Amino acid sequence: MAETTGQLSGGTASLPGARSVTGAAIILVLAFTPQIIELLIALAGLVAPLSSRGPLQVVAAHASALAAAIPTLAQQYAAGGKTSLSPDVLMALIYTYPLIAVGVFTFLVRPRAPQDYFGGVVLMAIALFALWASSDLQGMRGFSFGAGTAPRIFGLLLLGLGAAVAVIGAVSPGAQLATYHWRGPLFVSLAILTFAVSIRPLGLLITGLASFLIAAIGSPETRWREALIVGICLTGGCALLFPYVLGLPMPLWPRFILQ
Amino acid sequence: MSWCVRARSIGWLAAIAGVVAGLGLSTAPAKAQNYPTRSITMIVPFAAGGPTDVIARIVTAHMAQTLGQSIIIENVVGAGGTTATARAARAANDGYTLITGHMGTHAAAVPLYPKLAYHPERDFEPVALLAGTPILILARKDFAPKDTKEFVDYIKANSEKVNGAHAGVGSVSHVSCELLNSILDVKPVGVPFNGTGPAMNALVAGQVDYMCDQIVNAVPQINAGTIKAYAIATPERNPALPNVPTTTEAGLPKFQAQAWNAIFAPKGTPAPILAKLNAAAAKALDDEGVRKRLLELGSVIPAQADRTPEALATLVKSEIAKWSAVLKPAS
Amino acid sequence: MDLFANLAHGFAVALSPINLLMCLIGALVGTLVGVLPGIGTIATVAMLLPITFGLQPVGALIMLAGIYYGAQYGGSTTSILVNIPGEATSVVTALDGFQMAKQGRAGPALAIAAIGSFFAGCVATVLIAILGAPLTKLALAFGPAEYFSLMVLGLIFAVVLAKGSVLKAIAMIVLGLLLSMVGSDIETGVSRMAFNIPELADGLGFATVAMGVFGFAEIIRNLDAGAEMDRDLVQKKITGLMPTRKDLSDSTPAILRGTVLGSILGILPGGGAVIASFAAYTLEKKLAKDPSRFGRGAIEGVAAPESANNAAAQTSFIPLLTLGIPPNAVMALMVGAMTIHGIVPGPQVMQKQPDLVWGMIASMWIGNLMLIIINLPMVGIWVRLLRVPYRLMFPSIVIFCAIGIYSVNNAPVDVILAGAFGLVGYWLIKHDFEPAPLLLGMVLGPLMEENLRRALLISRGDWSVFLTRPLSAVLLAIAAGLLVLAVLPTLRRKRDEVFVESEG
Repeated sequence: MAETTGQLSGGTASLPGARSVTGAAIILVLAFTPQIIELLIALAGLVAPLSSRGPLQVVAAHASALAAAIPTLAQQYAAGGKTSLSPDVLMALIYTYPLIAVGVFTFLVRPRAPQDYFGGVVLMAIALFALWASSDLQGMRGFSFGAGTAPRIFGLLLLGLGAAVAVIGAVSPGAQLATYHWRGPLFVSLAILTFAVSIRPLGLLITGLASFLIAAIGSPETRWREALIVGICLTGGCALLFPYVLGLPMPLWPRFILQ
Repeated sequence: MSWCVRARSIGWLAAIAGVVAGLGLSTAPAKAQNYPTRSITMIVPFAAGGPTDVIARIVTAHMAQTLGQSIIIENVVGAGGTTATARAARAANDGYTLITGHMGTHAAAVPLYPKLAYHPERDFEPVALLAGTPILILARKDFAPKDTKEFVDYIKANSEKVNGAHAGVGSVSHVSCELLNSILDVKPVGVPFNGTGPAMNALVAGQVDYMCDQIVNAVPQINAGTIKAYAIATPERNPALPNVPTTTEAGLPKFQAQAWNAIFAPKGTPAPILAKLNAAAAKALDDEGVRKRLLELGSVIPAQADRTPEALATLVKSEIAKWSAVLKPAS
Repeated sequence: MDLFANLAHGFAVALSPINLLMCLIGALVGTLVGVLPGIGTIATVAMLLPITFGLQPVGALIMLAGIYYGAQYGGSTTSILVNIPGEATSVVTALDGFQMAKQGRAGPALAIAAIGSFFAGCVATVLIAILGAPLTKLALAFGPAEYFSLMVLGLIFAVVLAKGSVLKAIAMIVLGLLLSMVGSDIETGVSRMAFNIPELADGLGFATVAMGVFGFAEIIRNLDAGAEMDRDLVQKKITGLMPTRKDLSDSTPAILRGTVLGSILGILPGGGAVIASFAAYTLEKKLAKDPSRFGRGAIEGVAAPESANNAAAQTSFIPLLTLGIPPNAVMALMVGAMTIHGIVPGPQVMQKQPDLVWGMIASMWIGNLMLIIINLPMVGIWVRLLRVPYRLMFPSIVIFCAIGIYSVNNAPVDVILAGAFGLVGYWLIKHDFEPAPLLLGMVLGPLMEENLRRALLISRGDWSVFLTRPLSAVLLAIAAGLLVLAVLPTLRRKRDEVFVESEG
């Protein structure tokens, strides 16, 4: 899921009127997004009991990995390349450093088709992330493919294609960035998240209506009385349709009422 | 890979779900003597219509009559059945969530998946063994060896050339083929397919040489002559295929394998409830209609002595040991 | 004639009141489920399988078959009306169907989809009856090498169907391929890029991603300030409900070609039906005098893939009925249904169960007739649905989609993933990337990788198998030819465009 969030940051990279300086800055943020996400998850881990690295460990591990990645690589190369690098170091080498380079490059160029340029850059970021994520998988084993062969081939291909899209976007004229809006995406996503989190404990009736109303906030055209009536009718209809007509095992009522 | 997001993404989702779920989970579990007072959910870790699903449905339909409550089958598919089994392990231990596990989920998964999110012995209470499905050694119809002995010699001599098919890592056909290979001490190429259907298609089309598979899918093909069977890996011949010799008769006595199905409950389910469920399952296995349908599938119905929870616990223990010796973990 | 005696017997079985009723219920439920976004055919048949356990075997299978092809009819409805393909096979229908709806021509699009499906269904039913047994050889002639080449060809189709930049379309295919790698590896079972999330252990579901990048993304985009004008226009200018004479004459050859392609490719187990609809679309686009109409509301772009996917849905019964081997997940469920009724299908099922086989074949024709009778009058209702104000429509679609995705695996994580892919889809729209090639890459990726690896395992690493096996070589040659045809015009256009300022 870190991958997806990475793409979101890429989205904000193209806010209206974003000049290449802002764009470059946001590519730099994108370069550290996986580390930031891991930190956020580690912070969430303080509330819920989880058996993994704490926030401080995360910061320390990534800071040292980022600082020492190149020396470690050189050391390992000198040692004959048998010892394996830690995932944090690999992350710095495979994902963060190349993206920092792309970010710096963005400062220097003025893309003539920003829509394509930033689109290509984000594809490159996804490709690099996938290359890192599949770096623990086995490669070719004799004549047969290993688990990691195909992901790496496709990762490299996407990296090349993303770079091609970006380069063409940098040199040949094309479309400007489209305008992004926050209201629709935010509330539709919130509605979906609400549904996912509460369908099991709270059942279809409450969840359905709540999600409907949250989604409705996403449009300024919403009229509340109308939305409430339609929401209730729709939830009621779904409650009849899915569990009864289609026979889906789906909780209707909250769990605490059932017990 | 130990990077935290991998472990913690789930944790993060679980945290939110847990807070919300916590609101609803304060009432005491239903009393054991009145059990069951509402419908029971039976998780089947495979797709509807598969061998495990069919057996679970036949038996639970009868158990529901005995228990006086409906049993709702929930098919949860994924990762060789381990997704569903992990979910069942975490379910409330009040007897209202059960699982129909099989040889894969409750034995072979232990050596196959080192990071398995449950352990068949520590996280489950055995309830009742339902049925065993015998495994056959099958080959394409024009494969040179004529009987098991020739087959064994041929494979030992040509293990570089031979292609075995299986229905994916962790499937019954995969683990039983690995058992056969380890007994014969050969390592032929195993060609993975996505399920029994495509694997059988490749065998019928002659694209691969041999396969080990459950009796259900194989009987009509054997009878039509599109594939041939060398032996059945059970102590006795099967009424559905009276002409196929057992592995013991054919000189391969070490190769014994059955895909068994059994009901399990989450650890800590009260003993009286387990006893009620076991009795209901035993009653179903004694019912003429249930027996007839299971036998039609080629299944072997467990003898009285094998139906107790204790016998199932022993079976699980011995199966884990058996498969651990044969299967290498998938990295 | 044996055939007529068999068919007469089949119709006698299928026309019994109880079986007619089963057929009608199946067709209705299938249409309903096909129309509800999120729930695909596989999920539907799996859900409804238990209901059929109490029925007679023939009736049960007639009903399940009805659900299967009924859902194919219904699936095109959401593709056309709200741009949500419920199945891989209706992704291409959404391309031109939804554009037609935006131009106020949802009625003709829905009608032509129904007419094309009916025609294809009738032809394919006859084909099953007459040529079922000989055609089986085709299914057996396809080994891993042939499948790999077929998948390569399928990916080339995705390039051809792109309406914008070929480079960006290829990038989307590769992104789809990369996404399809998530999940466990077929050969070793190792988990790939799944980050220990159990719901990712078997990879990203097609419905999840399709719902996100098509459905949710479309909704989010429509909520953008400034998009209201666009929507209101759509609602005001709805024109006729039925296709005009010109529409019909334009679509007739497309329906015929789609039917032929679909019937042939449907027989191939695994992926055949998906490739059929893409192939039909690609063929129409290549044959058209003005290919630029495609992706902008060309009626052939609806007629051809809909005919192809319905024909393929019918002919995919052939391997099941003649070999007893299920060619896809839905057919595997049908085998399950038969098994529960004590019939294990095998090569002799046609001789041993004539009632079942011929009854089912006859019921397919009856079912198709019922479906067109049900669906044509419904066109008016569906089109009226478009008049519902968008402020009420979009939260409803969100809820339906969420329930649909949740119901497939009872997994809340799937719903979250679909939401995340909605944001990805929004981003794709903003950067002018097309989601259709991405989805095709996702569907074909695993099939391509698996078959490549199988072929190499069997050939012990010898790559020449793809060229020495004749069928495979022919498929690769067609793929290479198509790629050249697809890339050449863009190269030429690029040269011309250099002198023209960008027009967005």
